[in-house]
Amino acid sequence: MTTSTQQPTRLAADSSPGRQDEGTRGAWRLVMQREIVTRAMNRAFVVGLVVSLVVIVALAAFFAWQANRVDTTTVAVSSDDTAAVAAVTSADELAADEGGNDEIDVLEVADADAARRALAAGDADAWLHPGDDGWVLAGQGEPGGSVERFVATAVEQQVVAANAEAAGTSVTELSAGAELTTEALEPDAVGEQALFFATLALSFLFFAGAITSGNMIASSVVEEKQSRLVEIIATAIPLRQLLAGKILGSSVIAVGQNLLFAGIGLVAVSASPVSMALPALSTSLIWFVVFFTVGFLALAALYAVAGALASRAEDLQYTATPMTFLVMGVYFVTFSASGAFLTVLSYVPIASVVAMPARVLARDAAWWEPVVSLVLLAGFAAAALLVSERAFRGSLLQTGGRVSWRQALRPQN
Amino acid sequence: MSTLEVRDLTRTFGDLRAVDGVSFAARGGMLTGFVGSNGAGKTSTMRMMMGVLASTSGDVLFDGAPVTRADRRTFGYMPEERGLYPKQPALDQLVYLARLRGIPAATARAEALEHLDRLGLADRAKDHVEKLSLGNQQRVQITAALMGRPRALILDEPFSGLDPTAVDDMVDLLRGHTARGVPVLFSSHQLDLVERLCERLVILRGGRVVADGTPAELQETGTVRHRLVLGGDAGWVRGVPGVHAVDVDGATALLELADEEAARRLLAAAVERGTVRELSPVRPSLAQIYREVTS
Repeated sequence: MTTSTQQPTRLAADSSPGRQDEGTRGAWRLVMQREIVTRAMNRAFVVGLVVSLVVIVALAAFFAWQANRVDTTTVAVSSDDTAAVAAVTSADELAADEGGNDEIDVLEVADADAARRALAAGDADAWLHPGDDGWVLAGQGEPGGSVERFVATAVEQQVVAANAEAAGTSVTELSAGAELTTEALEPDAVGEQALFFATLALSFLFFAGAITSGNMIASSVVEEKQSRLVEIIATAIPLRQLLAGKILGSSVIAVGQNLLFAGIGLVAVSASPVSMALPALSTSLIWFVVFFTVGFLALAALYAVAGALASRAEDLQYTATPMTFLVMGVYFVTFSASGAFLTVLSYVPIASVVAMPARVLARDAAWWEPVVSLVLLAGFAAAALLVSERAFRGSLLQTGGRVSWRQALRPQN
Repeated sequence: MSTLEVRDLTRTFGDLRAVDGVSFAARGGMLTGFVGSNGAGKTSTMRMMMGVLASTSGDVLFDGAPVTRADRRTFGYMPEERGLYPKQPALDQLVYLARLRGIPAATARAEALEHLDRLGLADRAKDHVEKLSLGNQQRVQITAALMGRPRALILDEPFSGLDPTAVDDMVDLLRGHTARGVPVLFSSHQLDLVERLCERLVILRGGRVVADGTPAELQETGTVRHRLVLGGDAGWVRGVPGVHAVDVDGATALLELADEEAARRLLAAAVERGTVRELSPVRPSLAQIYREVTS
């Protein structure tokens, strides 16, 4: 018979300690093993993983290429115009001094007409020549970007030097005491922009790992519930063992996936021009993995309950909605937060999974701050596990429709 | 020989007493059929026996002692609405479910292969279960309950949807277990099947046991009818006091007789009117008994 309304049901034997543990103590390992193997053999999961890896590697390669490529600009000058040749040559030196990727070449041409022809033919990108009032940098379109800046500086220096000489002094004398030197107090600190992208990456790692592995555990629970396999399993092992195996199995997958992504990311960074950020990034990533591991235990437990509350796979979109909101909320809030708000978030369990490593990366957190935050997170995870275990047992064997959290937690009648 | 027994088992869902003081025993070495209409309380009773549903009151006993979790781990159970992991090979899930019950991996694997071989599914052992026909999926499900020499079997509608040959195969398997002295309790809607297979029968109605015994015992308790075959039309029997005509068809009548006196009156009247070819008691069929006790 099928009963449409069934009340909370717990295994009669679950509440009586003693013989029940006989031989079932290690059952969670079997469950965990099955979760991992099933997942690893799932084609959609493997394809998704490979695609993600390819995207990460491709992005890293693109940024590395972008950073290393040399941008050569050819400036045409009349060969008899020594001042122009000197200006372009010193512009090239300025570019080289700055350590960027710009190179400026000189193309000596016979006269103005030859220069125009070179521009039209694409042999030169710009043409430097004296104008009515100072100098002119001409291009097919508007000559722009860094070339303009370097040439302008070079021309200015040259003209100032000439004017200074005419006035009976020198540039050195004129500009004495006006030099500005920069000094990096933390030479390996992460730049503002890199920080934003790194935080975004952390948010995304959290989001992708939590959503995919969370839904994996929820659907694996409801699969067993829908097929009544759970009734066979429940007579074989305590439900606590089943829950533990599922949580650990999906955690291994989620953390392993994030380790893989993070590792690839670090390798990519070490091969890129921002490799000086590597130590800071590594510290932050290690914290992230630790926080994620603890935080995901709580999420996995809650997702397992979402699965147990459902009675068919279709119910999951309702029972897992609070979880989806939680994970999405953490994702959006953490990557856009800053300042005092970020500091607060870095202590709020689950949000702290992203916020605290982000602060560590920004060198904004004292050494004890992640430790305190981790303790808070662990406390939250422990509480979530306890409540989830109860709700899981209170709902998993209930048939006939969705079960509410309240029903699931109602004491055994 | 083990005995699986329930005593005064009760379960209420709100105001509904789905199972109401049910007591019966499934004895070792016997197939016990569990019969009743939809909603009679069969599934709830079986779920309580397996500890999947908490009882409101009453006991489940195995060999006279309250059944423990450790006992239940050694029982084979097949729930009513069932399935397997669709995307896992049959062999793997048989081994997994057996290992959860504490059966060593190697033993479980060997036994699963043996079962699959017997079912003619040896070459499909590595196929995902969803690729097997529904009948074969169900055989695999029954097999899951039979793994590891269970000490008792509780099977909820194990034969529904199986063709007659498959039923016979499965019954042969079950007989193998009753031969070891194991109690086997199974529920079914198919009365003819239950009548043919079961050494013992428990009929449930509205959460209560309304009949419990061997098929022969139940037939004794049913209303015995008599068949009367005459030389001519039998329509006149309707007028005889103490005689209730269930059915009259030409010269043949199916009658319920109030007492010996009514029988004598009937026979005397019949002899007076002409030839009496036959007057014999008719044993009620299980279907008839079922209808009587459940109506």
